[in-house]
Amino acid sequence: MIKELAKNLVNLKKEFAIIYDGKSQIQEVIPVSKSEMFPIKQQDLELLHQFATKNPIYYNSYEKTIGKTLCIVYEGDINKYWLNSIQQSSSRAPFSPTWIMSAYVGVLLAKDLGYQEVIDIGSGDGRIAFCAKILDLESYSIEIDDVLVDLQKLLTILDFHPYCSDAVIFDYSSLNLSQPIFFIGGLAQMGGTVLASSVLEKINSNSTLKKNTGWVFAGTYSQKYPPDPKNEAGWGTLIEKNNLKSIQTVSLPTVWTFHEPQETPYIFAQPVLD
Amino acid sequence: MDSDDVSKMFQTESEKLENLISNATAKSELSVHEIIKTYYQIMNVSSMITMLKPQIVGKPQSFLDKIQETEKIISEKFNSNLHPQIIEQLANSIQNTTKNLQSDSTGEKSKQDIENESNIYEELRQKMSTKEFVEQYDKGLSHD
Repeated sequence: MIKELAKNLVNLKKEFAIIYDGKSQIQEVIPVSKSEMFPIKQQDLELLHQFATKNPIYYNSYEKTIGKTLCIVYEGDINKYWLNSIQQSSSRAPFSPTWIMSAYVGVLLAKDLGYQEVIDIGSGDGRIAFCAKILDLESYSIEIDDVLVDLQKLLTILDFHPYCSDAVIFDYSSLNLSQPIFFIGGLAQMGGTVLASSVLEKINSNSTLKKNTGWVFAGTYSQKYPPDPKNEAGWGTLIEKNNLKSIQTVSLPTVWTFHEPQETPYIFAQPVLD
Repeated sequence: MDSDDVSKMFQTESEKLENLISNATAKSELSVHEIIKTYYQIMNVSSMITMLKPQIVGKPQSFLDKIQETEKIISEKFNSNLHPQIIEQLANSIQNTTKNLQSDSTGEKSKQDIENESNIYEELRQKMSTKEFVEQYDKGLSHD
């Protein structure tokens, strides 16, 4: 069901990208109601819409039927957050979000794999952590940029625990995690490897957490970036070095691939058990 | 390609470069497009010189003179003069645009205002990546 949902979302994005004639810097869509293509609880969809409606990065929205699906199109602008993030020397990658629907599908897969807590690293506006909360998982949102954390605090319709902190020095033991999954923000080639390596090192220092923790990496097949010799959309070397194995990859729309033919592959990885 | 063709091609490309440098020197501010075009031609002609120098034996003196003259133009007019000015121009322009964008954050903005401002951000991103490109050239110079 999750694979089908992801495929339908990608098709929806492709149709939307063809017909979209607006001029906004970022744009995304959320179906209005549950359907055969999007068998998502109506209550969940409504929370996703609330997240977008309350989110100041979006300045316009309107209804549009895309293919056979009635959607709300959200138009937004993240330029000022970009400018702020590039001026922070500690920030590893500028803010550029995944689609809200993609965050939902990604977390749905994490839940299906049996994880109980979602930790969104480099969480931007906190959408992944928010979706985890919708899906009844415990969630924590770690973001270094205080302007973005202030933005997250406007969006705690459900409390997804925004923390303004450097993920590299954050004390994860304070969260009492049992079976967590970490979503790492940023492509491998855009500082993601350094960020992920540091967080992996912290988690791997606790042997119980090490074997129970899952990892999700946002990858790319774009030729703009150098490929990883071990593949996995840029993450192969890190996966091998940390004794992880890729268990599933799901391709989903993101803001940065809106004009691209390929979506963002999310690599789900787990430790190789001895 | 015989040696006459190579010589003619070098002549043509050197002249293009000289024109670009003269135009750039005469202007107080260059567009991103003009900057990229000038650096591209510098790199093009420099590569030609690197390739032609080992084959210079037996070529007419005028060809050797042209290579030396072009090298001098690249070194004195471009590397020592125009290139540092371009770096400074880009740095100032980025600083000013950033300052303007940050100070312009008051009050409610219309859809049109946001989308117009988005174009200024796009120009800023272009200037920043051009500056990175120009700085890469500069690193190459310091290793020479």
